[in-house]
Amino acid sequence: MAKVTVNGIEVEVDPSYTILKAAEKAGVSIPTFCYHPRMDPAGSCRICAVELEDSKRVVMSCVTPVADGMKVLTESPKIHDARKTNLELLLLHHPLDCPVCDCGGECPLQNMSFAYGATESRFESHRNDEQEDLKSDVLIFNANRCILCGKCVRICDEIQDVHAIGFINRGFDTIIGPPLGKKLDCEFCGDCLEVCPTGAITDHFVRYKFRPWQLEQHQTTCTNCSSGCQMHVETENESIVRVTSKEGLGPNEGSICVVGRFGFNHVQTPQRFDTPYMRIEHRLVPSSWEELLPELANRLNAIRRKGTDRVAGLISSRVSLEDAYVFQSFFRRVLRSNMIDTGARYGFMNAAIPLVEATGTLRPLVDHEDLLKAKVILLIGTDPVAESNITGLFLKRAARKNRAKLYVVDSEAITLSNRASDHIRINPGGESLFVSVLTEEIVSGGNLSDEWLTRKEELFKNWNVDPGVYQRLVNDLKTAETGILVTGRKMFRNENASLSMVNLMKMTGALGWIEKEGCGILPIPETANDLGVLMMGATYEWLPGLLDARNETSRKKWENAWGTSLSYGSGGGLNQILQGIEEGKINALITMGENPIGHFPAGSKVREILGKLDLIVSLDMFQNELVDMAHFVLPASSSFERTGHFVSVEGFVQKSVQTMAHWGESLPDWEILEKTSLAMGNPMGYESSEGIMKEILRFLPDLSPSTRNGEHFVGGTGDIHLVKPVDSTGFSNPSHVNEPGNISRLSFEMPPHKANRNSVSARFSEWNGKTQPVLDAVSVIPGEGEFVFSMTKSLFHSGKMTLQDPNLKKIQPEGKLRINRQTARKRKIKKGEKITLSSIHGRCSFVVEPSPMVSEFELVFPEHFADSQVLALFPSEIAFSPETGTPTTHRIRVSLSTETVS
Amino acid sequence: MAEVKYAEVTYEDIEEICEEFSNREGAVVQILQKVQEKYGYVPADALEFVGEVLEIPKSKMYGVLTFYSQFYQEPRGKFVLKVCVGTACHVRGAGLLVDKIKEELHIEPGENTEDMLFTLEPVACLGSCALAPMAMVQGTAYGKLSADKMVSLIRQFEEEAEKEQEPV
Repeated sequence: MAKVTVNGIEVEVDPSYTILKAAEKAGVSIPTFCYHPRMDPAGSCRICAVELEDSKRVVMSCVTPVADGMKVLTESPKIHDARKTNLELLLLHHPLDCPVCDCGGECPLQNMSFAYGATESRFESHRNDEQEDLKSDVLIFNANRCILCGKCVRICDEIQDVHAIGFINRGFDTIIGPPLGKKLDCEFCGDCLEVCPTGAITDHFVRYKFRPWQLEQHQTTCTNCSSGCQMHVETENESIVRVTSKEGLGPNEGSICVVGRFGFNHVQTPQRFDTPYMRIEHRLVPSSWEELLPELANRLNAIRRKGTDRVAGLISSRVSLEDAYVFQSFFRRVLRSNMIDTGARYGFMNAAIPLVEATGTLRPLVDHEDLLKAKVILLIGTDPVAESNITGLFLKRAARKNRAKLYVVDSEAITLSNRASDHIRINPGGESLFVSVLTEEIVSGGNLSDEWLTRKEELFKNWNVDPGVYQRLVNDLKTAETGILVTGRKMFRNENASLSMVNLMKMTGALGWIEKEGCGILPIPETANDLGVLMMGATYEWLPGLLDARNETSRKKWENAWGTSLSYGSGGGLNQILQGIEEGKINALITMGENPIGHFPAGSKVREILGKLDLIVSLDMFQNELVDMAHFVLPASSSFERTGHFVSVEGFVQKSVQTMAHWGESLPDWEILEKTSLAMGNPMGYESSEGIMKEILRFLPDLSPSTRNGEHFVGGTGDIHLVKPVDSTGFSNPSHVNEPGNISRLSFEMPPHKANRNSVSARFSEWNGKTQPVLDAVSVIPGEGEFVFSMTKSLFHSGKMTLQDPNLKKIQPEGKLRINRQTARKRKIKKGEKITLSSIHGRCSFVVEPSPMVSEFELVFPEHFADSQVLALFPSEIAFSPETGTPTTHRIRVSLSTETVS
Repeated sequence: MAEVKYAEVTYEDIEEICEEFSNREGAVVQILQKVQEKYGYVPADALEFVGEVLEIPKSKMYGVLTFYSQFYQEPRGKFVLKVCVGTACHVRGAGLLVDKIKEELHIEPGENTEDMLFTLEPVACLGSCALAPMAMVQGTAYGKLSADKMVSLIRQFEEEAEKEQEPV
């Protein structure tokens, strides 16, 4: 330890500290421009100068390490002069256009000039007269305002690993920008915009639309993906002006992605429903809640009286815990139905069911910090940068800075591939075989039977797996001190996904990663609250707390909790719901942000089946195919207009707060259901989202809000109290609730976000007795002149909803079919041209975009843009997985022609 | 009038050049020099390909390219008239040479003639002050020049180019 005195305050710090960090510890703030806590210091702006008392030397505090006995002055006359001169020099070039600069009012350069009284320069001013670079649709580069601190270039290199911008030219002519005078082409995370200490980088979307001091700031949780980023939504007159992030805040540490930063405008577009609609004589007519609710209640009551499981419900997995909880409560308690399912059914369920069976929880074994400590990381079937951007950032850091061995198994190159020590570009269709063989290799300790050896041989022969790389992977996995397996959307949506997941779990177990701290498996949920919605029991399998909905004991538990008897039927998921509707056993459907028609090919019978319903109620924000059929369209509030909790990929339970006024007559989903139950004469009695969360916590106390640093970023959690769990499942007995001894203040107890390793290990060893599924490759190997068409998540959209976002639409206006660059050249297909794909089921035209990332066998399309036309390539007969009931429409064999169809 | 001809660059050609320097990241300047030698300038595609081979981001490659004034991003004339404007040459009338070229070929410093035959490039000292005022064209030094001599030199190059174009 080194003893350092900063302005007379003595602190003891690690000798690796810089003066700046030591000063921070002493509570002394030193101004900076180019310093950034997450990046290597650059020492280029010279504003953090400090004086060493003994030697009288002026040094830069951000790059100078401390020494024992060092005495530092941060505000001596000498330093004041140095900083003032420095500012005068900066202001030689920097224009004083603060009145028209977006940064004015929150500009460190402005503040510093003010603080040091650099009112006039002793030097002859020499303003630059560079044209602004307006080429990008997102960011504007103004070289005149730039002080060349390089923070933007560094954050793009060091944190984002994107390298989109750099220094151009030399000396006085140096500017910052994208290479070759081209339009900026990057991930548009906007981190450069965030760190710029001047108005040199601004964005098109909000330019000239605000003055920072007039904005109201709301700290909230982003609900676009499962990263659970903390961000600041800034509003004026209750509408959103911009979204910013704050360094170090939240699990995202201050970085947010393109969707979070720029994708906020869809909630304030005129396309949104602002009033409830009712269908009268085949037409949807605007109505009011007062007029509509009694009518809806009557019709629901009539159907409810026919028996149990008569009304089906589909809920999006992007809603809050509160909404999901009330949803299942409404169905089970009021409608007596267990015919409910979530959007997770389309993919994440393939991971969730095996996970719950094997570990008893959906909480992850590892979080992002564990990724930084891991020695070996295997990414299989996931593109974390697009699926959960912050997981991607941590993986980038793990591989680049911490030198973790990163293995990627994927048919296409992903952003992380160039950081991987090896990328196994397995041919599409071979994933299940790969997982199966790898699992057997690990589980059997390398003693493969002849049958398995044949399989392994096949892997090498037909599926583009290099034996050497494979062996390296096996060795690294076996010998890894700490290892983590990351899997995600591409894996969940593959054929045999749930069985592959079982294999992966068994492999994780055989490697000893279930018991070992810092090791494990990290499945990346597909949406912001896949985990939370399932934990709330918004699916037929589970009651809240992941208790088996069809088990008598768990049903009793919730009957006690709610003080009512539960008489729902055996229920079913998406598959059974569609079947039930077709057979006339289900008469009504209520959807919350879900549109089943959009998930299935045009030729499928889904639309026809839904046509048999007596009643369709759609709670949504925008028009869609289901809305066109619905009898009642109820305007739902967006996540910016209500308060709710979300469970992140790391298991943090975080609060998203209301930041803008309700759009028109729209209401939060839970409130619509509550009002409906009231109109039905069977009120559930929920009054506020705080009240609902309180009820959830009363029964499931381990869902208490949590964040990485143990502090509650999202305001106070109000008067929510924690109840200590009284039985091993974490379920608290409601009769104990009011006993004062069971209540402890939230601040005393930081709920763990990760799974409890002991209980998981115990449960796992029991489950591990289950037979290991033996999987073969799926035969989608393309023949001569054929391709595999597959769909992936785009970085620039969160779901179908963000397609309505004017900002994001500017960034990615349409879905383009990505094709291998060489293949395109060979076939003389150019960027922007239209081609036609045909499968045995149908055909569809696409605009192509050659890409070096895609394998020569594949054609990749962003799933958000997949409408029924695109889905026409898939069989109209929907295949549901026998294990998890998930429908598989992920990839299909196609042939390509350059003719176009209309 | 001949159009500006952009070079066609193939990935394989660039790979070959990088291979000469064992794909070393540190040799990026030499590689770019070699590229410029081959194409007369550094085509944008070539810059990208070099980046891909050496695994250097495009933005960094462009930073290197624009940092050094020795690299050109646009095609240049067949004959680059490097007129020395260093101190010695300046004193002995280099300015007159430059003016004459401007007048004769209707180009400004740094520009190409429309037929892509000439580029005027005033340079700082070429180290042959004894020959002042001097110029260098295609690696050959021409010393003790005058405005008139410069004109005849230009004519000579024009003839040379014409001869090359005639069918054998």
